[in-house]
Amino acid sequence: MRDNIEKTVRQIMADILNLSAERIEEGTSMDNTEAWDSANHINLVLALEEEFGIALDVNEIESMVSFPDVVQVVAAKV
Amino acid sequence: MTETGLASSLGNGDDVVFLRELFNQAVVGGDAHALARAAQVLLKADGSRQNHRFLRNAIGRADSRTSGLRPYTIALLSSFSIEFLHDALIAMGIAHGLAITIQQSGFNTFRQDLLDGESSLYKAKPDLVVLAVEGEAWTVAPYGAFFDAAERDIEAVALTVRTELASLCKAFRSRCAAPLLIHNLAMPAWRKLGIGDAREAAGQTALVLRVNEAIASCAGEATDVHVVDYAGLVNRFGALSWYDDRMRLYAGAPIASAMQPHLAATYVQYVAALLGLAKKCAVLDLDNTLWGGIIGEDGIDAIALGATYPGSAFVEFQAYLRDLHRRGVILAVASKNNPSDAEEAFDKHPSMLLKRSDFAAMEINWGPKSESLVRLSKRLSIGLEHMVLIDDNPAECEEVRRSLPMVSVVQLPPRPEAYVRTLQEAALFDTLGMSVEDRNRGKLYAQRAEAEALRGAMNSVEDYYRDLAMKLTIAPVGKDSLTRTAQLTRKTNQFNVTTLRYSEAEVERRAQEPDWIVATVAVEDRFGDNGIVGVIMAQAEDDALMIDTLLLSCRVIGRTVETAMLAHLCDEAQRRGLRTLRGRVIPTPKNEPVKDLFARHGFDKVDVDGQGTTYWRLDLDAGRVAHPPWFA
Repeated sequence: MRDNIEKTVRQIMADILNLSAERIEEGTSMDNTEAWDSANHINLVLALEEEFGIALDVNEIESMVSFPDVVQVVAAKV
Repeated sequence: MTETGLASSLGNGDDVVFLRELFNQAVVGGDAHALARAAQVLLKADGSRQNHRFLRNAIGRADSRTSGLRPYTIALLSSFSIEFLHDALIAMGIAHGLAITIQQSGFNTFRQDLLDGESSLYKAKPDLVVLAVEGEAWTVAPYGAFFDAAERDIEAVALTVRTELASLCKAFRSRCAAPLLIHNLAMPAWRKLGIGDAREAAGQTALVLRVNEAIASCAGEATDVHVVDYAGLVNRFGALSWYDDRMRLYAGAPIASAMQPHLAATYVQYVAALLGLAKKCAVLDLDNTLWGGIIGEDGIDAIALGATYPGSAFVEFQAYLRDLHRRGVILAVASKNNPSDAEEAFDKHPSMLLKRSDFAAMEINWGPKSESLVRLSKRLSIGLEHMVLIDDNPAECEEVRRSLPMVSVVQLPPRPEAYVRTLQEAALFDTLGMSVEDRNRGKLYAQRAEAEALRGAMNSVEDYYRDLAMKLTIAPVGKDSLTRTAQLTRKTNQFNVTTLRYSEAEVERRAQEPDWIVATVAVEDRFGDNGIVGVIMAQAEDDALMIDTLLLSCRVIGRTVETAMLAHLCDEAQRRGLRTLRGRVIPTPKNEPVKDLFARHGFDKVDVDGQGTTYWRLDLDAGRVAHPPWFA
């Protein structure tokens, strides 16, 4: 289950940041990824909500600053 | 999401993976029709944000010169964060054969951007400018400041918005000839006066309606300014679904994610209408399309059409088609049936709303539908790319999709109550506004078919011309003919020497130049008034009159109207003391009918360039084009 979530999140992030999926790693964060700006952060939130059928509150949105954080937040919701 | 939910979405994902692969192949294939169709199929299978982003990325990586897509720049000015619908807009553009580039202005800087001639908006040289402004950014009176006493004078509020909008439109128009789309105001989801608002003369409801009237009339007075019915859009889906308060307050992005594609689709509808991509002709199947059941097997008494379900759903669908017809869409039939059975149904069924005379042509036979469509296209002189097959049978739909990729196909769903909505959502026939010609077009095509029949009965073609009793009116373009003139330049493909497309603003600007002749051609005949069917644009340069545009609607081709147009240009040239008339033919796949236009009228070919454009010249000292004697 968690592997599936991680795989789907990775693909969504790759599409939104226009990177290949392999480049989304444990260390990928807003700080070190140029394309992950505030606009693409919202794009990411909206895509995750749609894909997983979840709704994220603003605290959760603001806590997702790295790839593992994103997986963590999504896994807690589905 | 449950385990099974996730598993089933991954199952659908396999289809999407396959369709994405097909799309990627189409990207490198270089056939714009095939690419647009691959995008349509992929978007139908998966309308998610992720899929929109996939399409955007895939086309972004491709070479725009080889994809075959038509480049199109949209400048988006907004009072809110609208960039979250870029992906949907670009994806839907591909499905229409367009490579859309978006010039996004800053958050709520639309006033500065419009007023500053040096702004990135104008530098982008957009093909279309969209002013996506939420109501509060025009006036807070119907919204947050409703209880502020000074804001309660409804006429003053409307006048303020109108004055500002008019001056912004004017500033814009002085710097840019592109069409402009503006939103009207959406109703707030809740009224501050609660249940009492609706009867208040200056309630929120009344204020929004009044301001929207002001916006509509302001747009009507400007040139090429169009109103996006944002109020209607929000109303259709409901304000509670449309808005996302969380994203409005957190990110300045008020439109809910799931609603953004609807707004993007509306913009693309405008683009399609502006580019003349709207469909002209609905080709209908009969059995299980116009009525339930099979006329040849069930018989006239047993088909479903009437007051009770499912017959009531078919009556409603016919009523919708009749409205399309009244709006100017041409109706035709392509059905596998015995003609006599079908004719009996039309002539004798008491609940049949559509009459045989509502259809410009019928192809009722047992051959493939693709062949029927080709014949209809020839009989009606309507390009296949402007035709839509509407059919319940998946096999017929597939046969046409494969044989004729340029024809749009609407496959009707299993239940007839969903037929109308299926066509409404496909939004294939929308035009920017309804001209008198649109209103009469359905009738005109029937008249044309009669005129064709008459030609068969005449001994000589000159008798035919005389018998038509044609009255020709060539007049300078004016305010009331501007819309039709620009529309004709955008949608006339066959009888069009240069196929140059113009916006209303461009036509208007040109008409004011003293060295330009910009004229419309209207033709009346014994079958009725065809309205404006032709456009001439020509410019005096040194001692020559240069023909920039000479086009004729296909419904009057073959009646020597073009000869009269050239004769008129000879008059104009001589009146201005010019000695030659010059023209050129820019070849396209569609404009075969004009290839020999100048040769037929005594022009000399003076040059051919590398693109195949031919250049022609008529020396007026040596001869001129005579007026055909049969025009009154």
